[in-house]
Amino acid sequence: MRIGVFVCHCGTNIAGTVDCAAVAAAAQQFPEVVLAVDTPYACSEPGQRAIIEAIEQKGLNGVVVASCTPRMHEATFRRTVERAGLNRYMFEMANIREHVSWVGRDKKLNTFKATDLVRIAVEKLRYNRPLTAKSFAVNKRVLVIGAGVAGIQAALDCADGGLETIVVERTSTVGGKMAKLDKTFPTVDCSVCVLGPKMVDLAQHRKIKLYAMSEIADLSGYVGNFEVSIRRKATYVDWNKCTGCGLCADKCPSRKAPDHFNELVGRTTAISIPFPQAIPKKASIDASSCLHFLKDRCGVCAKVCPVEAIDFEQQDEVVKESVGAVVVATGFDLLDIRRFGQYGGGRFPDVVTSLQYERMLSASGPTGGHLKCPSDGREPKSVVFISCVGSRDRSMDRAICSGFCCMYTAKQAILTKSHVPDCETHVFYMDIRAPGKGYDEFIRRAQEEYRTNYVRGRVSSVYPKNGRLAVRGADTLLGTQTEVMADLVVLAVGAGAAEGSRDLAEKLRISYDAYGFFMESHPKLKPVETNTAGVFLAGACQGPKDIPASVAMGSAAAGKVMALFSKERLESDPQVAQVNAVRCVGCLKCLRTCPFGAIQEVQARDGSTKAQVIESVCQGCGVCTVTCTDRAIELQHFTDNQLLAEVNYLCRSWMEKSPA
Amino acid sequence: MSVVDGKEPSVKELRIIGFLCNWCSYGGADTAGVSRFSQPTDLRIIRVPCSGRVTPLFVVKALMSGADGVLVSGCHPRDCHYSEGNLYARRRLEVLKRFLPTLGIEPERFEYIWVSASEGERWQTSVTAFTERIHALGPSPAVKVNRYDARLVAGGL
Amino acid sequence: MSTIDLLREAIRAKLPDLDMVLAWGGDDPLRASPLFIRTESDLENLAAPHLYVSNLAVNLYSLRSKKIGLVVKGCDSRSVIQLLKEGLIARPSLYIFGLPCEGVVDAAKINREIPDAGRATGLAVRSGRVMVQTPENEHILDLDAVLADRCLRCRYPNPLIYDQLIGEAIPVGEIPDLYQDLDEFEALSLDARHDFWMETMRRCVRCYACRNACPLCVCKAHCVADSREPHWLTLETNVSQKWFFQVLHSMHLAGRCTECGECERACPMGLPILLMRRKLNREIRELFGYEAGLDLMTTPPLSTFSIEEENIAEREL
Repeated sequence: MRIGVFVCHCGTNIAGTVDCAAVAAAAQQFPEVVLAVDTPYACSEPGQRAIIEAIEQKGLNGVVVASCTPRMHEATFRRTVERAGLNRYMFEMANIREHVSWVGRDKKLNTFKATDLVRIAVEKLRYNRPLTAKSFAVNKRVLVIGAGVAGIQAALDCADGGLETIVVERTSTVGGKMAKLDKTFPTVDCSVCVLGPKMVDLAQHRKIKLYAMSEIADLSGYVGNFEVSIRRKATYVDWNKCTGCGLCADKCPSRKAPDHFNELVGRTTAISIPFPQAIPKKASIDASSCLHFLKDRCGVCAKVCPVEAIDFEQQDEVVKESVGAVVVATGFDLLDIRRFGQYGGGRFPDVVTSLQYERMLSASGPTGGHLKCPSDGREPKSVVFISCVGSRDRSMDRAICSGFCCMYTAKQAILTKSHVPDCETHVFYMDIRAPGKGYDEFIRRAQEEYRTNYVRGRVSSVYPKNGRLAVRGADTLLGTQTEVMADLVVLAVGAGAAEGSRDLAEKLRISYDAYGFFMESHPKLKPVETNTAGVFLAGACQGPKDIPASVAMGSAAAGKVMALFSKERLESDPQVAQVNAVRCVGCLKCLRTCPFGAIQEVQARDGSTKAQVIESVCQGCGVCTVTCTDRAIELQHFTDNQLLAEVNYLCRSWMEKSPA
Repeated sequence: MSVVDGKEPSVKELRIIGFLCNWCSYGGADTAGVSRFSQPTDLRIIRVPCSGRVTPLFVVKALMSGADGVLVSGCHPRDCHYSEGNLYARRRLEVLKRFLPTLGIEPERFEYIWVSASEGERWQTSVTAFTERIHALGPSPAVKVNRYDARLVAGGL
Repeated sequence: MSTIDLLREAIRAKLPDLDMVLAWGGDDPLRASPLFIRTESDLENLAAPHLYVSNLAVNLYSLRSKKIGLVVKGCDSRSVIQLLKEGLIARPSLYIFGLPCEGVVDAAKINREIPDAGRATGLAVRSGRVMVQTPENEHILDLDAVLADRCLRCRYPNPLIYDQLIGEAIPVGEIPDLYQDLDEFEALSLDARHDFWMETMRRCVRCYACRNACPLCVCKAHCVADSREPHWLTLETNVSQKWFFQVLHSMHLAGRCTECGECERACPMGLPILLMRRKLNREIRELFGYEAGLDLMTTPPLSTFSIEEENIAEREL
């Protein structure tokens, strides 16, 4: 082979703590290396051009770039060598930035380590073989999971782009958290009035198929060809018949069902439609509150329903859909208020979450938009807002800033004044975080125009006093302790991943962080992609986000799907397993261990059994290779010989150093 | 073989080989790098697609050929990019770990852990702890075999 | 009728339906060799049961296209089960004569006990005693003293799979394998264990007799030990290559080895290589409650997983 080695300085990122020239000089002595140079920025246009020129002038047929992580630029450099006519798999990367210069302090040791990493890249490259991608057809349908504002936006954009779109929503209506908000910041316009038309568009779009009250049961397959199983949960109402007239809910005698749409503020009927603008506007029965299911009597709804839609015998049903890409937009949930006992969470009825407060402010909410204390229905004359409840709190392992609380708290303080003009409003905060168009101005309005009392400091406790609540905390600007009397306390409870996110992540084979939020492929350059090809993220499931950011991300995900689907065929990754039929004894252990069903049994010409890899299904994990004692099945680009070359060099060079 | 001035590195290193899955642990090591979490320099990382690709034979081969320590790291159980690879790996590597003492190799020279792509700090802690552990154990007994074989070649036996 | 007569008649009756029957025969009074019975006249060479030392299952994979009759002892039957379970042979092309076994004698042990064993003319076993006839003497030995090692810890004297049982099953209680040999070895210091293998592997001649005798080493025709794709081993006959070969062989048998002991018996240098396989088996039994070659249904533990492993603690650093 004729190998070229390019050692990148990455400015001072690498060169600051690695002697790149020395690494290149050492690499010049490696077997089959005909050229080794250091370069200021290998990924820059001149850097890439130098690689191409070297390939052409020196007749290189293999290239090693020692620079950043291959997770960053492997694709970049593969394209570079391809432009010079090499097969893109005749390229290896040595990660001397993330794994060397950024983590080691001793320049000498770093240089020694970087040289080793370059050497094992060379050793592996010597066993690399050109690989060629195969192409396969794409199913140009997209699945959107979650129909909050991010999911709705993604679905509408995909459908407007001409794609058949399947939307799966867990609750009985689309709209998500935004549909529960009274007003939005910083414009203070009606939330559901903004969102409503989009919800209607979603329901009426001829390219969109909506499954409400449904969940993902399973997802298999791979980019371009996923198979999804959707569990349609029993609503005990035949939605093909239900007209959403609401007569059933009017007559339902069981009126103490938990009202999830209203965040458990107030009660609803056992059969209900969550809110007037619900999409689809269909009734469903909460079996845990329905007298028919609890006591085997009643059946009033069935009697009054003019279209005979009630079906107490209905069961969950699993339907299958085939799609080529998935947009995950499952949003967030607030932490359980009962975790905040020190603020009276779960202990005092007049301590509520910010989202409960939204419902209390909303004209379509349980109080009809009249602000009332849940304990006795009196109108509050003092409302205290506590920020950063479960956010930026290391004591509960949540260093995360939930991002949107500062803004909605200011909005809620403003709205409080418009509901009850003589009500005092106090906000306990740590810092105000208001980057965004018109955001800081909005905070100012809350403080100046709406005379909200902002107290910088943590609250230590909330306790009952004289029939009201005393909020005691620090005022760090005055350096004193302070106590404020409140009729109502609103906790800006931190955002966590939506309930069930981890289970969903496992089904989708995507990763999540310590808070359960899904991991993007790269924090800066691939914020919408996941590490699973064909699965994209939108909205707060990736981390707390306000509405404009969620909408933007929904559109971004749709854009990614459309870019993916702009090709008639996709290229399969050729880093797949391959069977050497001569070695194969036909035991089919590989077939049984393959997580993807990518191995099939075939008969050889002599009638013997052999394993065969279905290349478009194989994902390249290599479990089969390890299972096969005879190595009759090898994962291309990560063969035993390639990995052994690395191991052998590292051990051999080490033993040569040790005194005999 | 040192490259800076032809002399041995100033701090005595040992040879530690890491097999990291591309999706979680390699990313975790990258995250540690991006966060500038400093670590001992002994470890040499070999990237593999999945911990399920790591045959225990790579580990034994490394330990028997002179590596002082081997660390395998993959996605947390349930989080495997390939859904099941790390679960196969866990069984195979656990059996291996229990087998090593029969070969006269300290089982502590080999460890397998789960580090996700977001766990840069966990990666730093793990590398540091493992490197310290290997330094406490000292050089691998494979040195003896190597010396014996070297003498064999030299005709000394 | 004696066992050998029963066996002879059973084979005679089935022979017309089979391409051949694998049994034991030959003239050596201390050990029988494999006998390939194709015609009735071959039946005359059938040897006596206490000499059936080898495991005939080793031949099954290469004869898998034929209709084969096979005589199995309890231990051999486990190899057959394992081969069937791994899909390496097919049950319909196999007819199994199951032979309850009281143990086989180890010729090497007799050689150690009797100086003139090399000139033995006959051997008989009666009620726990072994009578060895030489031209000059008749030696009487304790059967236990000359039984093969594996017979001394035998837990399955009766075949676990057969089409026809020859004679009566031997009553057995629960016999635990106490792994005394392993415990003794593991009582040594790590250093001593390491040195033990270094010394053992120094003596290995890398003849692959162990591999060739293994009934489960079905890929020996293109063994990774002497292939370049993949290139796990060089051809140097140094300790590191020979030792690694033995480790590789043992690990390829993890969860598969039935401890028939043919590897060790075949070793011309008498190296105790079964020990490594027994270690892996003990760990697999403790971790997964699994033993190879006992039934056809259970999935081998290394070909499957549990999301929550009962006996594997999460590892932390």
